[in-house]
Amino acid sequence: MIEVNDMFYAKSSDAAIADAGEYGGAVTSILKFLLKEGIVDAVLAVEEGADLYDAVPILIEDPDKVVKSAGSIHFGTLNLAKVVEKYLDGAQDMKIAVTVKPCDAMTMVELIKRERVNPDNVIMIGLNCGGTMPPVKSREMMEKFYEFDPDSVVKEEIAKGKLIVETADGTEKEIPIDDLEDEGFGRRTNCRRCEINIPTMADLACGNWGVIGPLAGKATFIEVCSPKGAEVLEKAKEAGALDLEEPIEKGITIRKNIDNAMVKLADKWQDADWEDVKGREIFSALTEYLPDFSRCIKCYGCREACPICYCDDCCLEAHNGPDWLSKGEIPPSPMFHLERMIHMVESCTNCGQCEEVCPSEIPLAKIWHEVNAKVKDNFGYVKGTGENKPPMGFFPMDKMPL
Amino acid sequence: MEWKPKIIVFCCNWCSYGGADTAGTARMQYPPNVRVIRVMCSGRINPLFIFKAFDEGADGVMVAGCHFGDCHYDRGNYACDQRMRALKTVLTTLGIEEGRFYLDWISASEGEKFANTMTMVSEKVKELGPFSWRKNQAEIG
Ligand code: SF4
Ligand code: SF4
Ligand code: SF4
Ligand code: FES
Repeated sequence: MIEVNDMFYAKSSDAAIADAGEYGGAVTSILKFLLKEGIVDAVLAVEEGADLYDAVPILIEDPDKVVKSAGSIHFGTLNLAKVVEKYLDGAQDMKIAVTVKPCDAMTMVELIKRERVNPDNVIMIGLNCGGTMPPVKSREMMEKFYEFDPDSVVKEEIAKGKLIVETADGTEKEIPIDDLEDEGFGRRTNCRRCEINIPTMADLACGNWGVIGPLAGKATFIEVCSPKGAEVLEKAKEAGALDLEEPIEKGITIRKNIDNAMVKLADKWQDADWEDVKGREIFSALTEYLPDFSRCIKCYGCREACPICYCDDCCLEAHNGPDWLSKGEIPPSPMFHLERMIHMVESCTNCGQCEEVCPSEIPLAKIWHEVNAKVKDNFGYVKGTGENKPPMGFFPMDKMPL
Repeated sequence: MEWKPKIIVFCCNWCSYGGADTAGTARMQYPPNVRVIRVMCSGRINPLFIFKAFDEGADGVMVAGCHFGDCHYDRGNYACDQRMRALKTVLTTLGIEEGRFYLDWISASEGEKFANTMTMVSEKVKELGPFSWRKNQAEIG
């Protein structure tokens, strides 16, 4: 019997998938199995869009097409939880399996707590993540650092802290991500600050970290994170879709060490990003952000992109309720941002969608992530995990003393 | 003329507004620049009220409700307490001085506490000077 907290080296028993998918194609196999058996109606995953720098969501209903989504893509800014909530009606009437990196998984959990996504209809296949990269800047990076024509790149991979890139004619070049980031390239800024690399809030957490020995590079490390995850894996194994093996003890330690090192690095970035305002004298902290907010053109992009901003009757619209905001004022009063903040910041998963779409390049995710960290300190509320309801929107009245 | 801060106080109908009344009938002095807005219960106070007050030119804001256990609607003040703590987190991270925002519980019989608190708040806010995030914005250009 497979149980929660069990760990495995897994690879597909289908040679074609093992080839197409990375690290033994275990994830692809699980997804295909779920579809084939009718356990889910559809799989939501990511595929390459127009080019390598364009990760787009894909909803797959045909088991034979799952293989299209195989392999990892680092250039992209997606949050699949938004897709589930907004375009799949929170999975209310359809059973889906969705591949989630930690920020997707955390956002899913927040949306489940807020009753926007039906947890009974969702299987979350978690993917370890060390960060994603912004498409436009990455193209620039290819020219500047790799001296490649961005369109000639056919493969990219992150291994041992390096970004390895391969072009159509087989030329390969690797550069340490640290070096790229020192120059302002590399991962998205929210990803640099991100402290969660293994999505244990999903049902399964899959990745290549910790796979050593004869299977190195040929299998996926899977951690079982929930009873649902255990059931899925058990069934897939019984049906012969997957080969599972005990992981090597040292591999487990290595995986842990990689995670720890990433968390440390994230801490470093958090310190650097928030240094300007940390412990600063009161007013100066606001003045720090006011010039940023003063560039706002009130396009509502941040609200539209944010997965937690799902309200049909958003109070930032003038016709909803009292006039919270003065009409026709550009830039809008900081009230605009504070309203959005007070509504959802405790659930902010630092997914970066808001900042990504802001035409005025306001460092929204940075500010939200910082306030979210304070909410964690003040309320002990950790976003994206556990059962606790978000403290600003929910009051456990029955638990409060009379 | 000496500058006087504009203070907005949200009082719940059943206790704190009564407290203001008691202070009035007993002819206790409290600063005239304090403006009271009555709500039915402190649980009615949306954090946006406080932002809006600042946005419209308040220099300081206070929220007052019944003591725990005394809320006319059972537990509205607990909800208020949780919301206001959240609000404080946001305010202080974004750099609005803690001294511009107050939360306290004042009963209908505590006219003296009401008057004293208003005097204290008024003085504290006065020390901090005028507030406007808009003006600030203009200064930065
Ligand atoms: S505020 Fe920004 S970073 Fe936070 S959840 Fe919304 S889109 Fe993501
Ligand atoms: S700003 Fe507030 S009301 Fe508008 S969508 Fe976001 S959470 Fe909802
Ligand atoms: S996306 Fe940027 S410019 Fe648009 S409303 Fe949000 S903060 Fe303002
Ligand atoms: S009635 Fe006074 S706090 Fe609820």
